[in-house]
Amino acid sequence: MVERIQANDPSGMEELYSIFTTGIRFYLCRQLGPQDLDDKVHDAFLTIAQSIRRGDLREPERLMGYVRTVVRRQVAGYIGTAVEARRNFVDADHTPVLRDRKPDPERTAIEEQNTALAMRVLNTLPRRDREVLVRFYLQEQSPGQICREMRLTATQFRLTKSRAKARFTELGQARFARRLGFTASMDARRRGSAPAQAS
Amino acid sequence: MPNSLDPHLDAETTEEYSLQQLSARKTAEVETHLLICESCRKAVAASDAYVAAMREAAAKVRETEQNPMPHRRMAAR
Repeated sequence: MVERIQANDPSGMEELYSIFTTGIRFYLCRQLGPQDLDDKVHDAFLTIAQSIRRGDLREPERLMGYVRTVVRRQVAGYIGTAVEARRNFVDADHTPVLRDRKPDPERTAIEEQNTALAMRVLNTLPRRDREVLVRFYLQEQSPGQICREMRLTATQFRLTKSRAKARFTELGQARFARRLGFTASMDARRRGSAPAQAS
Repeated sequence: MPNSLDPHLDAETTEEYSLQQLSARKTAEVETHLLICESCRKAVAASDAYVAAMREAAAKVRETEQNPMPHRRMAAR
C-alpha cells in the first residue's frame, strides 16, 4: 500500500482511507470535538499521503505508528492555533476567529442523563465506597494513596470501582430498554395497534 | 494492553486511557491500536462517558457534603 501511495496509484489512497478513516475520525473527535470534523479528517489524509510520497515513512511496516504521529501533530497544531487566536482576541479586541462552539443539545442531554445515573449509583452506595470513588474520579488520587489512607486492599479498591461501573451499566441498559419500549409503544399508537410485547 | 493472546485493550487500560493516566509510551500503543480496532474504540467511548459522568456526579456529591441542605439554612435565617 505504501508503495502504491508513493507511486500515486489511487488504489493506495483508497486502501489507506478504508483502513484508517474511522480511527482518525474517532481520535480527532475525541481530542478536538465534532466541529469541522470532515475537513480535519480530510486534512489528515492529505498530510499523511504527502509525507509518504516525500519518503518520510522509511519503514512501511511502521505505518500505523506513523499515522498516529502525524494525526497527533495535527491535533497539536489545531490546539496551538486556537490558543494563539484566543490570545490575539483578548490582546487586540479583534473579532474572534475561533469556530462556533455551540453545545450540541443531543450530546448535552446524554451527558446530563449519564450524570444523573452516576448520581444514582453514588447515592445508593455506602458512604465509604462513595468516598473511594470521589477520591478516584474527582480528586484524581492514585489507587495507592486511596488504599493507604482508607486502609483498603487493592482488591477491595478494584471491587468497589467495578461494582459501581457494573451498576452504572445496568441502569444505563434499563434506561435504554425503557426508551426502546417507549418508542415501540409510540410507533404502535401511530399505527393504531397495541405495542408488541417485549420478549 | 494488546498482546498476542488478547489483541484488545483490557478494562483497566481503557479506563486509565480515559483518565489520561497512561505513560507516553503506553498512550502511543493504545492510540495506534485504536486506529484500527472498532470494538476498543467503542470501549473507550463508553469509558470516556462513564469517567465524565462519575467526575461530574462526584463533584455534586462533594458539594452537597460540604454544604448540606442550603435551603434549610436559608429558612432558618
